[in-house]
Amino acid sequence: MPRMGSVSMRNVWIIAHREYIERVRTRGFLITTIMIPLIIGSFAFGSIFLGSKASPDVHIAVVSSDTQLALDLQTELQREQQQKIDAAAEADTSPRPEKAPSHIIVDAIDPGPNTRAELDQDLGSGDIDGYLWINPAPAPGGRPTFTFTPRSSSERSVRPLLASAMHAVLIREQLTHRGIVASDAETMMQPVEINASTASNHDDHTSAEISVSVLFFVMYLVIMLYGMNVARSIIEEKTSRIFEVMLATIRPEAMMAGKILGVGAVGLTQVGIWLAAALTLAGASVAVHLGGDTFHISLTLAQVFFFFVYFILGYLFYASIAAALGAMTNSEQELQQLNMFLVLPLLFCFVMLGTLISNPDGTLSRVLALVPPFTPLMMYFRVSLGQPKAWEIILSLVLTSASIIAIVWVTSRIYRIGVLMYGKRPSIPEVLRWLKYS
Amino acid sequence: MPIVELKHVRKVYDTKVAVADLSLSIEPGTMFGLLGPNGSGKTSTIRMIIGITVPDSGTVSLFGNPFVRSILGRVGYLPEERGLYKKMNVLDQLIFMGRLHYLSASLAEHRARSWAERLLITEALPKKTEDLSKGMQQKIQFIATLLHDPDLIIMDEPFSGLDPVNASLLMDTLLELRREGKAVMFSTHRMDQVEKLCDQIALIHRGHLILSGSMSEIKSSYPRNRVHITFEGGDGFLRNPAIESLKQFPGMAEIKLRPSPNLADDAQSLLANALQYARVTRFEVTEPTLEEIFIENVQGTSPDKVSLELAGDPLPEPEGSFLDA
Repeated sequence: MPRMGSVSMRNVWIIAHREYIERVRTRGFLITTIMIPLIIGSFAFGSIFLGSKASPDVHIAVVSSDTQLALDLQTELQREQQQKIDAAAEADTSPRPEKAPSHIIVDAIDPGPNTRAELDQDLGSGDIDGYLWINPAPAPGGRPTFTFTPRSSSERSVRPLLASAMHAVLIREQLTHRGIVASDAETMMQPVEINASTASNHDDHTSAEISVSVLFFVMYLVIMLYGMNVARSIIEEKTSRIFEVMLATIRPEAMMAGKILGVGAVGLTQVGIWLAAALTLAGASVAVHLGGDTFHISLTLAQVFFFFVYFILGYLFYASIAAALGAMTNSEQELQQLNMFLVLPLLFCFVMLGTLISNPDGTLSRVLALVPPFTPLMMYFRVSLGQPKAWEIILSLVLTSASIIAIVWVTSRIYRIGVLMYGKRPSIPEVLRWLKYS
Repeated sequence: MPIVELKHVRKVYDTKVAVADLSLSIEPGTMFGLLGPNGSGKTSTIRMIIGITVPDSGTVSLFGNPFVRSILGRVGYLPEERGLYKKMNVLDQLIFMGRLHYLSASLAEHRARSWAERLLITEALPKKTEDLSKGMQQKIQFIATLLHDPDLIIMDEPFSGLDPVNASLLMDTLLELRREGKAVMFSTHRMDQVEKLCDQIALIHRGHLILSGSMSEIKSSYPRNRVHITFEGGDGFLRNPAIESLKQFPGMAEIKLRPSPNLADDAQSLLANALQYARVTRFEVTEPTLEEIFIENVQGTSPDKVSLELAGDPLPEPEGSFLDA
């Protein structure tokens, strides 16, 4: 019997086992298992849906004294739409989505004295989604200027479309102007097709990006959720005095370790269920069609493996901090005041997601991914979508593991004393004194 | 060999002295009562005995050796407030506690069931803790404390919040355990419970030991100057000059006699006097109750002064006015 050992693994196991069983049995576990994918789903797909949903009805007025220009723009926009549809149809072998992809209705209008006022009124009533005002070029051969007034910010997605169509129209006009035959001009205007490199091991970059981002979000959410769970359950045990019974039986380190592992195992189970479900869906080749794009769950084995590695490290890192916070506080309210230590670094990772997506191997991403509080989320992202060097991965694992050990060391001391401090929240100097004391 | 031995134990929380220079020892097969009003340092003392906190100075020895955590396997501890998982099934919880004490799951379950039978609470085993009444939770906690068959049983306010039937059921159980040779220590602020149960007591006040020793020693060091009388009829005898003070209830009186070299004679003449006025159905000459002893020890001096004067003196002489000359 390992009674004399520093921390009995047997007791850690018993505590973790209880924690796991009691939590998995609750209705709360069932609810979060179902709800969180729904929340993430609506976050991840919601924006894409919103971007493409308005599509069939985008109605734009083009105001130009040059009627030909307005009509050319109209034609160009419609052509671009058609190309997009064809491209989507080509790339996608699965059945066509029922919903037609976006298309844009363009009205060409001659400017009159009241045109702007009328258009503003139409804009207000929702008859049109925006108008493009083309001011003729100040000098022949010069460029006209454009002002686009969209109805709402969500219509902004139209602007790049307009810009590119306008660009094409102007170039075509210039080419014709310089005596190039229309058909030649057309050939020159053909878009260049770049085949996606097959060297990267994901076939569809956008899908991979979305899949990894969803996992990033899952990791963020689960670490936060279960970290807080650790803190909360410590507070609960403190207020119910279970701690006293336990401390009169086992070492506080075993208690803390058991709790962190047990709660973590619940989180792992939950994520496992989600991933299994997601991969089953992917296996059944159920793809989600969004507008003209097709999204399917695209994850490699390595991505899943590193997800779990960094998820476990991240959980241990933040759960240990949460355990210290729980040990230092006496109520949920007090915890709220301290949980920024948990939330801020995680939130920072989340804010940096944009930087990571656009440049996973940039200096900023590389440096931040090695800072232990950010490593789990950021390095996971880099491993999945960037090209980190092997030494970077190893260094990140070493640094994070080392800091977890350091945090656990500090936390177990805070814990040991903090759990028995009833009644008032300790000040920072008091916490420092605890560290010396134990 | 004493099972528990505290030597000059001191514990200070921030600026508050919780326990000051406390020494006591508990022998096997004794029922030890740790007495004191709320906030006197009982719980702090108990926590140091079981190593939840460490004394600032002084030593704690259990089973003849300086405290080590591994000895906790031989100790059963019942905290002052209930320490049970509210949402957890009662039997699962008991098995869990037993396993932490190195019992196998099946042995833990077996013992949990037989204890539940003994304490008449079998019907609670399949329920959730939160569905039980306070008294039932207390019994479950009681079982959790005893599952691993500890040699030293430490209970902080074990009878608080229990109805008389259950309180006496648990008291009987503790007495049985003592007969089996176990050392039982419990704290209480209710002195009347101690008089019936304890062999040894320690009385603490504001962290200082006021009084300690065996129940009979303590009692016999006090003069038998209390008279409890139950009577029917007139109460004129209560004006007897031998009476110093009294508490009168309908048909009953608790009398404190004036200090005198011949207390026994004074009592007899009081009885004779009473018979002239009333029919006496009960007449008892006795020592002061623990509660009275405690109050006498604490009263009249500023508490801190009492503590300082009495600290380190386990058996202070009672105040002079009560002593036979």
